[in-house]
Amino acid sequence: MTAIEIGRLLRAGTSGFVVGCRVNQLEAPSFGALVRVPLENGYQIYGMIHDIHIDDDGLVRQLVTAEAVDQSVIQDNRINRNVPVEMSVLAIGYKQDGRISHLLPPRPALSLDVIYLCESEEICQFTAEGRFGYFRHVLRAAELPIGELLAAHVQQAGQIHRQDGNPGWASAATRELITLLRDDYATLMSVLGALGDALPADELKLGNNA
Amino acid sequence: MTNNLASIGYIVGGGLKESLKVRLTVPAQEVQEGGFVVIESDEWLFYGLVTDLQLGATDPRFADEQSEARLPEQLAGLLHGQTLYTNLEVLPALMLEPGPALDDPAYANWIAEIDAELRPKPRPLPVKTVPPHHARVRLAGPGDIAQIFGKQEEKKNFVIGYTREQGHPVCLDLKQFVQRSSGVFGATGTGKSFLTRIVLAGLIQHDQTSVLVFDMHNEYGFDDISSDDNKRVIGLKTKYASRLRVVGLGKGALIRGQAPDFNLELAESDLQPEDIEMLTRELNLKETTPTTLEALVSTFGRQNWFTAFREMRNGAIIEDEDGKKRPAPDSVAAWASSSGVHQLAAEGLHSKLGRVFRLPYLVENPASDTIGEIIQALEAGQHIVLSFGKHESDLDYLLVTNLLTRRIRQAWEKRTNDFRSKGEREPRPLVIVLEEAHKLLNREMAAQTTFSTIAREMRKYYVTLLIVDQRPSQIYDEVMSQLGTRISGWLGDDDDIRAVLSGLAGREALRGMLARLQSKEEVLLLGWGVPMPLPVRSRRYGEDFWKELQGEKQGKRDQKHILKELGYD
Repeated sequence: MTAIEIGRLLRAGTSGFVVGCRVNQLEAPSFGALVRVPLENGYQIYGMIHDIHIDDDGLVRQLVTAEAVDQSVIQDNRINRNVPVEMSVLAIGYKQDGRISHLLPPRPALSLDVIYLCESEEICQFTAEGRFGYFRHVLRAAELPIGELLAAHVQQAGQIHRQDGNPGWASAATRELITLLRDDYATLMSVLGALGDALPADELKLGNNA
Repeated sequence: MTNNLASIGYIVGGGLKESLKVRLTVPAQEVQEGGFVVIESDEWLFYGLVTDLQLGATDPRFADEQSEARLPEQLAGLLHGQTLYTNLEVLPALMLEPGPALDDPAYANWIAEIDAELRPKPRPLPVKTVPPHHARVRLAGPGDIAQIFGKQEEKKNFVIGYTREQGHPVCLDLKQFVQRSSGVFGATGTGKSFLTRIVLAGLIQHDQTSVLVFDMHNEYGFDDISSDDNKRVIGLKTKYASRLRVVGLGKGALIRGQAPDFNLELAESDLQPEDIEMLTRELNLKETTPTTLEALVSTFGRQNWFTAFREMRNGAIIEDEDGKKRPAPDSVAAWASSSGVHQLAAEGLHSKLGRVFRLPYLVENPASDTIGEIIQALEAGQHIVLSFGKHESDLDYLLVTNLLTRRIRQAWEKRTNDFRSKGEREPRPLVIVLEEAHKLLNREMAAQTTFSTIAREMRKYYVTLLIVDQRPSQIYDEVMSQLGTRISGWLGDDDDIRAVLSGLAGREALRGMLARLQSKEEVLLLGWGVPMPLPVRSRRYGEDFWKELQGEKQGKRDQKHILKELGYD
């Protein structure tokens, strides 16, 4: 199994980092996906992609206004970009000495560290650890579209857990979200609205009576 | 005593004054008001009664909005599971030290200490503390009920009914039951007389007590036809032909077309002035009555005053030799003037006593001392049902019960004193069953009849009352407060409910329960004669009941049977 490399670190802080990637790497990552940054001595930082943005440069601005741009020019501009595609990632945990923690990583990664997409197995491992502690980091990020982000995450991870023989994960996660957001009616309803759209009707069935 | 019965919730708050609050973790339908629950903490087991169920929400908006319309069904289910809940209110009644678990090594030690009397045997105590937060709550199992109400196997315990939800048998300790006066209450048509039959059958079967029933409506002795479904109702005489005697009031009386074992006639000499004073309201007597009666007694003596007064002619006049009219020597007026009694008062009393003079069962010289026979039978361990036959008026009831009870009281007081001072045989406990008790025990009457004395003091003399009534509010408070065991069916009237609950803890909580009992076959056991209040589905009186009682006595009720009784056949 080859690890899917999605880019290198542009800048980082304790609570998150930004990854720059080439356009040909843009196929794999998606909104809400889990990524990891392996560092020395088995130390590894986990993150969740919450934004993918494509910045313009001077040439793009000129091309946008130009008439009848040749298709090859457009392709060339897309592939050989001057500025990278940027992905904003929320730090949601780390692994040290083989143990996964949902606390914020003790120190960030350094520039140009390679970022990989988490494999199914790692997603299962990370999301099943403890009691959904990493939801804290997501819910704290008030400026993010929390509902959409969580819906995307629960949809992706739920499917993987299902295939892994743990069909109750999605409802356990939903229940935890309800507990965490009980006192914030507006946020809870927006999260549940998004989850309702994202999850197939039978996804929650099995865990419902658990 | 760990028990793996499923938990239904956990304690979230409350206290001794208000009820304990329990967060329910199972669907609300699985618990009902009046359910008997056990709260487990490390040190104590608490026994309580569900008095209310309340719907709650972590935020009122979750309850207000019908989110099932907005969200997929499963998601709404999850949301409601987390935000909407039911709270129980539990009235804690008793607590018990369970000791170490059976498989705990400390258990053997603990039992040994109890056996050696180094440590008191654990028994249910009134609640004095509260369980901690989050203590586990579960529905009581048959073992818990037996722990509190007694085991069915013991002879003194009589199954009075079954818990409403799970049908576990609930026992009444008959030995304790007869030590204090008790009452059976319920609005008309709630099955009071069936319940009384069941209790009486239990007492007779238990055979430690004699029973005297004042059967005003001729229901208890011979077989009867139920007024509800026209089915035959078995009388006690049918089942206890040799141990129970039916006494008819008046010579030649027939009860339900059958001849009673013997007939009761009262001697006029037994009638005392107090008996007449007691009838003041019934006969509408004047306030001069006591003076007149006193004069009669002083003229003729306590034995003969009544006969003498009856034989006087009211208003008889003779003419003397001068042609002047004056009262005849055997007239009331003549006696009045000779005894210094107001003539009109005496004549008034005489005419008002006419109803008493004409009573056919009140005779000058009865053929035999039937009251004495009744007392003898009761002392010998037999049971008496005194049927009033066609004498159903309040006058009959007041007069006969009072007269008979006074004699009984004298007899039992004498026996008890002989037992205490001379070491004679211990008197046999006696239970007097009073139907329509409010007629004898209302506020005005209570002071004058023997019954209030019995209710208050006679327990020392082995005589107690079993009061059967539909208007407990009419019964004198002082008598009500003496009732140890109260078995109450549905009551609608607020005053009646208040009367039944008088002097009990947790009245407010029990009040609603009493008003919401199913109108038939559900009764609330309460009073300090029972360990804790509990609503039960009473036993059904019929062939099955008798089979269980007299036949295979230890026969366990199988599940099919219980289901059938619950109506799931």
